[in-house]
Amino acid sequence: MVEGKNQWKAWIYLLPCLILLLIFTVWPIFNTVRVAFLDGYNGMKAVGGTEFSFGIKNFSDVVMYKEFGTCLLNTILLCVITVPVSTLLALLIAVCLNSIKPLNRLLQTIYFLPYVTNTIAIGMVFAAMFNIVGTMGTQNPIITTAGIINNIIGIFGVEPINFINTGSSYAANMAVMIIYIVWNALPFKILILLGGLQSVNKQYYDAAKIDGTSRSRTFWRITVPLLSPMIAYVVITGFIGGFKEYSSIIGIFGEKLGPASEPGRLNTMVGYIYSSLSLGNEGRASAAAIILFGIIMAVTLVQLYVQKKRVHY
Amino acid sequence: MNKFKKTGVTLLSLGSIFAIVACGGSSYSREDFGSIDDVISHAKTISSKDNTDDNFEKTGTPNFAVPEEGYDGSEVELTFYSTQGQSLKAITDKYIEEFNKIYPNIKVTHTSIGSYDDVRDQIKTEIPVKNQPNIAYCYPDHVALYNLSKAVAHLDNFIDSTVSDGNGGVIGLTDAQKADFITGYYNEGRQFGDGLMYSMPFSKSTEVLYYNKDVFDANALEVPTHWFSESDSDTTSMEYVCEVLKKKYQNDIPLGYDSEANWMITMAEQCGADYTVAAPKEGESHFKFDNPTMKAIAKRFNKWYQEGWMTTQQLYGAYTSGLFIADGSDKAPTRSFMSIGSSAGANHQLPGKNSSGNYPFQVGITSIPQMSATNKKVISQGPSVCIFKKSNPQEVVASWLLVKYLTTSVQYQAEFGKASGYVPVLKSVASDPTYSSFIANADLGNDYATALAAKVCLEQEDAYYTSPAFNGSSMARDQIGKALTKILPKPNTDDGDLNAFINEVFDDAIKECEQSI
Amino acid sequence: MAIDTMKERNMSDIKKSQRVVKTIVTILVYTFLILVAISVLFPFYWMLNSSLKSLEEYKLTVPTFIPRSFQFTNYVDAFETANLGTLFINTLFVGLVSTALSLVITVLAAFAFARLEFKGKNVLFAGLLATMMIPGELFTITNYQTVTHFGWLNSFTVLIIPMLVSVFYIYLLRQNFLQIPNELYLAAKVDGTSDLKYLWKVMIPLALPTLISITILKMMGSWNAYIWPRLVANDGTHSLITNGLRNSFTDTSGDVNYPVQMAAVALVSLPLFLVFIFLRKYIMKGVSRSGIKG
Repeated sequence: MVEGKNQWKAWIYLLPCLILLLIFTVWPIFNTVRVAFLDGYNGMKAVGGTEFSFGIKNFSDVVMYKEFGTCLLNTILLCVITVPVSTLLALLIAVCLNSIKPLNRLLQTIYFLPYVTNTIAIGMVFAAMFNIVGTMGTQNPIITTAGIINNIIGIFGVEPINFINTGSSYAANMAVMIIYIVWNALPFKILILLGGLQSVNKQYYDAAKIDGTSRSRTFWRITVPLLSPMIAYVVITGFIGGFKEYSSIIGIFGEKLGPASEPGRLNTMVGYIYSSLSLGNEGRASAAAIILFGIIMAVTLVQLYVQKKRVHY
Repeated sequence: MNKFKKTGVTLLSLGSIFAIVACGGSSYSREDFGSIDDVISHAKTISSKDNTDDNFEKTGTPNFAVPEEGYDGSEVELTFYSTQGQSLKAITDKYIEEFNKIYPNIKVTHTSIGSYDDVRDQIKTEIPVKNQPNIAYCYPDHVALYNLSKAVAHLDNFIDSTVSDGNGGVIGLTDAQKADFITGYYNEGRQFGDGLMYSMPFSKSTEVLYYNKDVFDANALEVPTHWFSESDSDTTSMEYVCEVLKKKYQNDIPLGYDSEANWMITMAEQCGADYTVAAPKEGESHFKFDNPTMKAIAKRFNKWYQEGWMTTQQLYGAYTSGLFIADGSDKAPTRSFMSIGSSAGANHQLPGKNSSGNYPFQVGITSIPQMSATNKKVISQGPSVCIFKKSNPQEVVASWLLVKYLTTSVQYQAEFGKASGYVPVLKSVASDPTYSSFIANADLGNDYATALAAKVCLEQEDAYYTSPAFNGSSMARDQIGKALTKILPKPNTDDGDLNAFINEVFDDAIKECEQSI
Repeated sequence: MAIDTMKERNMSDIKKSQRVVKTIVTILVYTFLILVAISVLFPFYWMLNSSLKSLEEYKLTVPTFIPRSFQFTNYVDAFETANLGTLFINTLFVGLVSTALSLVITVLAAFAFARLEFKGKNVLFAGLLATMMIPGELFTITNYQTVTHFGWLNSFTVLIIPMLVSVFYIYLLRQNFLQIPNELYLAAKVDGTSDLKYLWKVMIPLALPTLISITILKMMGSWNAYIWPRLVANDGTHSLITNGLRNSFTDTSGDVNYPVQMAAVALVSLPLFLVFIFLRKYIMKGVSRSGIKG
């Protein structure tokens, strides 16, 4: 009987959340799936009275698209690199920050700043910093100006690097993207991990101190396990966000999504979905979204499985 | 952590398989595709297609019939989407008030939405719920998109209507009014393949050539009138001028061009080469730009870029107007002496005054170079307005009355033109007293650059062209521009390689276009 | 005796070397943290730098590190042209209301997922998580149709209601609730405390830091929202701050006046920054108060 009463109660607690989700999330998802299976669905044409037949042409169009491989590879590379890097860096910063007293508040505030900004606006600032201006891509390029980053590495006698402009290499493009995405991802991760660290019971550390446990041992044996729910959280959400990477690329490279000589080189899955949408190809955009969803789902399931085994509550 | 790694690796290899499959075996011909000389001589043979009505044969039927009673004076509310900034919006709103003195029952809500793309995205979302505005700023590509839903009202029946407008005139355009529109601008509304009228021109701009008068004078150079050198003694070609300037000023880039896409499309128009068609024959493609002429032109421009004669905003990595206004000092060491950009952006092509209040150099403005003196072509840009169908026909009629009022009012067009730097769409604005006194200052130097730009535009009123508009035309524009930015930085040391590369780039661009529709 | 002094000397040596190591570590830690701080701050410096330049100077091919002349008028222009005053108030209103409602919904849902037992809980939770993985852009068109159907266009409702539920926050809070020992709950049950009372008296105070994080994130979300507000509330009276940012700085020729736009971005970021500084104290307090003692 108590069980039954609780059941009923639980649903009451969930009611507001579920109603809103049904209307504004589940229904659109349902609609997306429907549209994905209507061959060549185009919202405008639909209003104009065109009928669309049921089929999987949208999916085959997406997979057969010449640049689909590029989009998928970029998405995966960015994810696989930026999530671990930003998580480790955030963990290191959070631990360091937690260990100091003076300047602690000031630094905390500073680290949180990137969260307060618009991805695209700051992306433009980054682009200006890495920019190199001149006749790149000719035999004897004239470099008119190099952005601040090249000025800095120039102090150490390094030749200017073409990071994002005409004729730049894929590796250089990726490096800039990774720096920017990590920069952007840090504040949220630091906030969460620091919050976790501060709620960790000091007694564990005192005990470790008395036992004479080394710093690194304390870190791996006490800090990381105690923080594991927070780490799992930032990793999972990081992957989900990473698979949806797009606006950061717009910020750095603009709508052409790559250096001028290689437009579209850094396109991602969501970039592809966007461009299909703006062309009115809602069918193809939906199919691409479902494929992306499948990939994220698979990765997340793996992570949840790992989490179940490794995360300590 | 290990497990993450494994998943990552699996996904990675999955990705690379896709990449390999996608790249699977493509070999492109290393054969040449004709010489620039052929292109030049062919361009000379084509005579200017006159912009007469014959070119716009009506194959469709207009989808809106003007009610017999015309506008019945009933109360209607109209929404008008534009991209006008505050100062321009104030001017427009002032004239909407004037309009309301004639038609007090037509309430107009004029909203500024942001950029042109923002207007398009907004309307695109609104059409499925029948929530679109009555009137909107538009580019032909946008209209083609809206038209997939058949939401745009054709204007033909309005234009020809002889029903009373309730103000002592007719709803339609009089012959004098029709003839007053600059032909190239007016015909933009009929580029949709069926000869029907989809939009009215609102305010326009084009590309003009800005040049550094002082440097041209110092080197006794003539301002180029055409692109390519036609003989060894040809001193009025862009090529000649660039070569001379580059020899003399090795650290500078003689020419900057704002828009790669405009350049290629304009070249196609000037050379009489195919670009796109709005209504292709059964089984044929909309996209026709992968032809030997376009490839030969792209190849020639590759040489220009490799020689350091020119650059574009995308390739350079900064505004080319910034190059043009640079003073060659340590702060801005690299200059350009010519800049091709929007006529509405004349103020951005002006160098800053020095400490004594003088300009470091005088800016000249003229038409862009041509392929043939008898077939002048310059692009027509800037917004038009279209009208949307509504369940209440009176709303549509009222919309037309407002559109007609704004586009045919000489005073409004003159005032808006002066304030915006855009060119009025009516020929008679040139003789409007305020506008003509504005234009009269054109030759008084840099402070009047806006007037000079407008004057240049007015003088070439016969040369305006617009490209066909259809579902996919914006993609064609996008792809032809990207094709050029890909080709220019390609080293030209091996002719065969370069040809193969150009073939491949054009082929990709066409595929990309075909896939998008 | 001799052995004892040896030991003592050894001990003091060890202590000394420990102190040296500690100092080195501290120096390293500070160097690292300050380097990170500098790289975090640089783009902001650049934003402020740009916001004080004239358009001509902004467009220079060699950027200047300090504006040649400080154009403070950019800030005045930004405030006036974008009509920031009204937009600030609108955004604040929407931000506060949606944050408050969102917190209630999130707390209730997270509590149900963390503490209550019901059939299909895990499946439902997994399903919820799955919805996070779909790019939100796909929802826009359908949601637009829905809110039009409801007649909500150009109202504050349309800016608040559809954005209330965030699976992110539910997940975050559930994780936090799970950390609170179940024994507390069972004890409360034995005492006859109702669920709501337990939630209010125990869970919420203990999870305060997370709730404050959520508050900040949500406020920020409202502050940065762009696509949706532009789409559904473009009548001017309900516009939000970012819409003003984008629309207002395009001059007659379609070029954007970047310095003024940068000034506006700086102005808009300032309140958020202040909110964070102000609320950070509460985060600290919340942490110290919620220290779980046994």
